[in-house]
Amino acid sequence: MKLICTQENFKKAIFNSERMVSKQNTLPILNNILFETEKGRLKLSATNLEIGVSVQIGAKIEREGKITIPAKLISNFTNNLPQGENISLEVVDQNLKIQSGLAKAIIKGLPADDFPLLPKKSTEFILTISSLKLKNIIAKVITCVAFNETRQELTGINLILKENEIIFASTDSFRLVEDKLKLEDKNINSEYVAFINKKDTLIIPANTFVELARIIAGDIDQEVKIAIEDGQIFFELDGVQIVSRLINGKYPEYKHIMPTEFKTNIVGEKNIIQGAIKISSIFANGKTNEIVLKIDADNKKTLIEARSVESGENSSEVVVDIVGASQEIVFNSKYLLDGINTITTSKVAILMNSESSPVAIKEINEKSGEIVEDYTYIVMPIKS
Amino acid sequence: MTNEELWQAALGEIELSISKANFITWFKNTSILSSANGCVIISVPNGFAKEWLENKYNVYILRALKNIQSDIKEVSCAIETSHSNIKKNNIDAIRPPKKISSPISFSEKNHDISQENNLNLKYTFENFIVGGSNELARAACYAVSQSLGRIYNPLFIYGGVGLGKTHLLQSIGNEILKHNPYKKVKYITSERFTNELIDSIRTQKINEFKEHYQKIDLLIIDDVQFLSGKEKTQEEFFHIFNYLYQLNKQIVLSSDRAPKAIPTLEERLRSRFEGGMIADVSKADLETRMAILNKKVSDENISISIEALSFIAQNITHNIRELEGALNRVFVSAQLSNKELDLPYVKSLLSELIASGKKKNITHKHIIDTVSSFYDIEPNDLIIKNRKKEIAKPRQIAMYLMRSELQYSYPGIGEKLGGRDHTTAIHAYDKISKELEYNEKLISEINTLKERLYAII
Repeated sequence: MKLICTQENFKKAIFNSERMVSKQNTLPILNNILFETEKGRLKLSATNLEIGVSVQIGAKIEREGKITIPAKLISNFTNNLPQGENISLEVVDQNLKIQSGLAKAIIKGLPADDFPLLPKKSTEFILTISSLKLKNIIAKVITCVAFNETRQELTGINLILKENEIIFASTDSFRLVEDKLKLEDKNINSEYVAFINKKDTLIIPANTFVELARIIAGDIDQEVKIAIEDGQIFFELDGVQIVSRLINGKYPEYKHIMPTEFKTNIVGEKNIIQGAIKISSIFANGKTNEIVLKIDADNKKTLIEARSVESGENSSEVVVDIVGASQEIVFNSKYLLDGINTITTSKVAILMNSESSPVAIKEINEKSGEIVEDYTYIVMPIKS
Repeated sequence: MTNEELWQAALGEIELSISKANFITWFKNTSILSSANGCVIISVPNGFAKEWLENKYNVYILRALKNIQSDIKEVSCAIETSHSNIKKNNIDAIRPPKKISSPISFSEKNHDISQENNLNLKYTFENFIVGGSNELARAACYAVSQSLGRIYNPLFIYGGVGLGKTHLLQSIGNEILKHNPYKKVKYITSERFTNELIDSIRTQKINEFKEHYQKIDLLIIDDVQFLSGKEKTQEEFFHIFNYLYQLNKQIVLSSDRAPKAIPTLEERLRSRFEGGMIADVSKADLETRMAILNKKVSDENISISIEALSFIAQNITHNIRELEGALNRVFVSAQLSNKELDLPYVKSLLSELIASGKKKNITHKHIIDTVSSFYDIEPNDLIIKNRKKEIAKPRQIAMYLMRSELQYSYPGIGEKLGGRDHTTAIHAYDKISKELEYNEKLISEINTLKERLYAII
């Protein structure tokens, strides 16, 4: 293999693939990135056997070939190269010779034949989604994913595919988040409807979405193409292909616990409520993080309070619009704060029924001032 | 050959041809999905394994399978998607976070204990056996349960461990709730009362604590003797007590001794305890013990001979809990060894239990008598000066038994056996102890002696 490519392309390709390598595995080759020439382009592939990524970049190929190189080494090397100069690569025996300007390196590799084959897509893409919308949703739903959970299905994000929308949801069994993505005709192709008639729910590992969100760069809106097959899902955007396993299992039913009517609504500035919760969480008991939201409907007062033996106590009044009855609800401050943090609008609504039933946090439309129905964060109060 | 056996055999062969790391990575969680017409489909956990097995290892797999079943011509892979191995659990998607400091976690597990009032439903008046020893206490409790707060307020029950105080106390609560489920009944041990009080002081919720107790119609506090020495708890309890008492709410207390005998109990509490009705439960007599055993036997369908039952009733005298424990013990071991529950079997089983309960009544005289009759010598021979081997050995054994069974002091032992020096006793005890480590005959002699010793009384 012998080729020349731009430093910018090369760096981007390394950045997108290096994190996919596995950290602990019996197979040392999984620490490597596969470099190969394919159809006049350079292709980099990396996998941890759960997720696989391959990135294609343009290059001037002088001789075909392939090799695998330790990801960490090549990433550290390229990150510290001076800007600008093109990079030339050449495989000599089991080594990769790299030259960029005045910097040179010879990196020891492993034979490419031992590198795992990334699963190949055998069906058409059935969905095309705006990358920025997807990134936005991922940032919200990732909050509630359970890590290191014995119930494997909770370590992923649940997708319910419908004809006109996709419902994303995740829960760690103390709180739950649900966001809806509206689908238009341009988003789906003819196969989509047939597909959802067979299978309309899937669980995607949280890691896959984390990596996908990382690869969706900056503010440029692109198309993310999605294909779903037995036990695996494929994403493609901007020359990057991701393949991931799906989590086997049945996601818990949650529709019936989503409250639809509320006795008390409060609407206020997100920043003010967020600040008050943060202050209270400093004073909350270290183990349970208990804070109390007190809503006095008669005197139009809302307080966020915390108290603990070790640190003392704190009470902040927040200015909000109150509709409905008085409430006094105990929360784990972390769960409440996580919910407020996901809100992307300047105002937030907290909707309640009682001190022992689920509480909803929703966004407020900036122009109309109405509650946005698509996004819901549900948190269970602490039982007193 | 089943698919599973076929795959295990094939794996055994494949393992030899590839490296360990590769084998573990690619063949973990694989199995044969189906095998028909020479075409085998292998179930794999993910797409990576599918690609690898189909493209790199297909030769190995096909060769291995062909060696076992020659008609296999083709191998393909499919990704496992069924949820067959996942239990369908209908756990709610979300639930409230737990309060770590919650004291109710224990009672949650026990469904017999209802959450709020801590009452255990198995304790009722119906299954309380009445005998001469507990007649008065039972009658007082029953009367209280029939007219709450109007007679015998407070009611104070005292008596030794395992005689049924808790049973009586909880029976009152259960009886009340049976007739009127809306009454607020609270059964609490004084120890938990103290803990709750401390908790409420810690979280600065003392007023809520007081309010909670002041709403109660029937307050039952078990083992109030533990309040002794806890001044702040006593003070709080005093206020709650007064409040409830003035509202004519019923208070029932129990203790292991009479109010007078509880040390460091404040005078004002003591006088209040004594102001109502005091009833004691004492040790059950033989007839009551028999009745309790009979009831238990018929409740649990245990078949046991009358002689064996009366043996238990005669030998375990001072604690009903021990009595039931003994019955449970013989029942369970008879079940395990499939033996009938007759007198000799029960005797052998309970000898240890009975012995341990009896130690106090044995004196050095019993030991001297038992040892001398066992070795067929005169009791006096052990005491007088005589160094004959036939006498010296039993004497040493008697010394050993006095030490090990009665915990006599060495000088005391010497004195009891003819004014001998305490070093003689030490030597005897050490010698026998050492010999017991290897001398089987001696061990069995000592055991027989112990049995006889405890059988005397």
